[in-house]
Amino acid sequence: MDALWVLVPAGQRASGEWIDDTLRARAAEKGLLGRSPRAGEFPRQRVELVRGADPVAAVNRLYQERGWTDGLPIVPPTLGRVDETVAAGGRERHVALGEVAPLAGLATVEKVAANAVMAGCEPAHFPVVLAAVEAILDPAFNLRGVQTTDENVAPLLVVNGPVAKRLGVNAGWGALGPGWPANAAIGRAVHLVMHNLGGGWPGAVSFAGLGQPGRYTLCLAERDDSPWPPLHVELGYRPAQSTVTVLRAETVINVTGGLDEVASVMGSAASLFGILHSGKPGVILSPLTARRLHADGWTRATAREALFARGRLDAETWRRSWIRTAVRATDWPDWAVEAAEQGAIPAVREPDDITLVVAGADLPIPQHAYCPSWGYPPCRVTREIVERGQGS
Amino acid sequence: MLRASAVAERAGVPTASLVCEGFIGQAATTSTGLGLPGLATALVPGHVDVQSPDELRRNVAAVTVDAVIRNLTEAPAAVGGAVVEPGPNDIVFEGTFDEVNRYYYENDWSDGLPIVPPTPDRVAEFLRFCDRPPQTELGVLLPDKRRATVGNVAVNGVMAGCRPEYMPILVALVEAMADPRYGVEHSGNTPGAETLIILNGPLIKELGFNYEQGALRDGIQANTSIGRFWRLYLRNVAGFLHHRTDKGTFGNTWRVVLAENEDVLRRIGWPTIADDEGVSGGNAVTISRYTGGGVIASVFGNTPVQMLPYLADAIVGKVGWELLFTVGMGVGSQRPLLILSPILAETLAKGGVDKVALKRRLFELARIPAAKLEKYVGEWTNFVPGRPKLTDLVKAGHIPAVFAESDDPQRPVPLVCRAEDLMVAVSGDPLRTNAYAFAHNGILGYPTTKAVRLPADWARLLREARAR
Repeated sequence: MDALWVLVPAGQRASGEWIDDTLRARAAEKGLLGRSPRAGEFPRQRVELVRGADPVAAVNRLYQERGWTDGLPIVPPTLGRVDETVAAGGRERHVALGEVAPLAGLATVEKVAANAVMAGCEPAHFPVVLAAVEAILDPAFNLRGVQTTDENVAPLLVVNGPVAKRLGVNAGWGALGPGWPANAAIGRAVHLVMHNLGGGWPGAVSFAGLGQPGRYTLCLAERDDSPWPPLHVELGYRPAQSTVTVLRAETVINVTGGLDEVASVMGSAASLFGILHSGKPGVILSPLTARRLHADGWTRATAREALFARGRLDAETWRRSWIRTAVRATDWPDWAVEAAEQGAIPAVREPDDITLVVAGADLPIPQHAYCPSWGYPPCRVTREIVERGQGS
Repeated sequence: MLRASAVAERAGVPTASLVCEGFIGQAATTSTGLGLPGLATALVPGHVDVQSPDELRRNVAAVTVDAVIRNLTEAPAAVGGAVVEPGPNDIVFEGTFDEVNRYYYENDWSDGLPIVPPTPDRVAEFLRFCDRPPQTELGVLLPDKRRATVGNVAVNGVMAGCRPEYMPILVALVEAMADPRYGVEHSGNTPGAETLIILNGPLIKELGFNYEQGALRDGIQANTSIGRFWRLYLRNVAGFLHHRTDKGTFGNTWRVVLAENEDVLRRIGWPTIADDEGVSGGNAVTISRYTGGGVIASVFGNTPVQMLPYLADAIVGKVGWELLFTVGMGVGSQRPLLILSPILAETLAKGGVDKVALKRRLFELARIPAAKLEKYVGEWTNFVPGRPKLTDLVKAGHIPAVFAESDDPQRPVPLVCRAEDLMVAVSGDPLRTNAYAFAHNGILGYPTTKAVRLPADWARLLREARAR
């Protein structure tokens, strides 16, 4: 017999209740206890001791049966690993970053650290996780909406500044694909926080119809060799600062080609929710395209203006759209209604609503992505990443 | 402040509680303990005391005012559900001694020293020393609003390293803790005062309490383990935890139980502390919170006239901002404690001073200039806003006339409202001429005395326990 001292990663409210009691009731109502047969069955304490011939496997089995994982194996949040992670965050373990919607588990530094360890984070990743969690707790992010909507939205994390290279947050080959520990673990940590502290259990609290792979992780860095000033500098930070910027991404649509192809996808039904909510979508631009545009005298601003000008949804398509005919006949924003009268609606209210990120491999056949937004209010939340002992 | 808001909310009056940034976390947990987990708070950025009026105005206008309006106009979010805690007889953990200790420590149930695992056998042994069943409720303690029961007294007594026969004292202590007169809910306040337990009665000798050399030092099981029990109980039942419900800026270690030297008191005809507090004729505990104290060494002289000025000065030297509790918050609740070594008490008694006379003489001698008292409460601190003059407070009928015998700012004024507010105990090395003075925390830990109830077959139980 061996044993592991592990933190309980579940959400506890300021009032002392554990959100798992609510989750068990919801899961039972929905016939979902097959996923988490032991939901709510755990010592209502900070730590527990898990014994077994193979305690790592025992923790994994327990956590899975209690509904605490995303389906993949987790790293046991042992006291030692969590302590190292908390220390790397540079903040006192009991500090509460806020309540995680919708079930209001407290995101204390220690609880976030436990979930980060489970996600596979190294201690050095933790300052990024803390900044990202602070960002999704910003009321502008509308975490309640993200967690409970039937749409498939997920937080898209964009890391800028020196921390990206130091931690190996990939901005190049396959930046949104598998194979990169920092991208994989940091994004997964944020999702486990949403899952375990906010209670976003699929089918029980979270009603996303199809979901998306970005709900496992959706995290990349911006390339530091972009010809333009980086995103965080454009947003008012200094180059030496590091930041994480969070968008609500309904999905990630690959677009191979040039700016016109990106605009064409933006001017499609993919942008209907974005128009309805005056949302702030993301556009990931290939390095080659950015370089060519820059050589021709384009800036980030003129690239956005071009996308704004060319990415227009035909008014007739909008009028006949499912969302307008079946769900929302009225209360579309004035700017969209007025544009429709002119024949076409831009994908966003104004060019600055587009968040431009230069990332991906430097391929001769450029690949981009359009990340349409979902939900109120318009959201692009940036937080500085403060590494231990490196305040700015 | 949240407690006032809770009362108002219960009466149907919407509230907004202004909470300084450093207290937001505590506000959330405290409001839960008050049974109103959604209690509306309005953040005041930073700490108001270190902001200029302009900074404060800017902060309040930018952040606080909006929150106050929302607090008063929006319905609070519904928060429901029950907190699940282990039942009184649940086995919460099984493992080795080391594992039990780690489990208890990591779950915040221990003070960092090893605990004695509260196994059912050990707890049952403690319960034999109480005639009341374990589920008997002794009170409900803030901030966690948890029930104090005979059963959880026994559990914490085991953990602290007490012996089973201490149980009657532990129960009396918790009855005192739960008495509203004491004010346990203040135990996490920022000055971080600590409780001193004073024991009187035959139990001092029966249970082997130290009341002589080293009376306030750890090292004797009865004095030490009961002192530790006090803080474990504040942690595990009341719910005071570092960095959360506890806001004591420094605090200090728990104090061991002070037992009086009742042989000496009897010989010189002085009443005990319990007698003074109105609980005579048996065993009694007195609890009171002190902000700090210190020794007065080598009191020289063989007559009261020679000795009293130094003793009075010792009390003066200990009491500063605490004068708030004399003339500001909880007027007349400042109760300094002077501990005399037996030889000092005997010398005073031989000089014709009984305890009443001693308090009267100290009341007259332990004085400071009126202007200095006013500085403590209204200028160096901001406890009493508006810098009121003592003469005005007397005129308004808030404090006794002794504080305004003239309007000379240098006139000497007392530290307490009445001579009997001074407390005097006798303990320590019998033949050393040293004393000890404590400054008191006023209504935030007012002296509270409870009789110790012994079980019906105490003598037999005690004999059996000693034989084990």
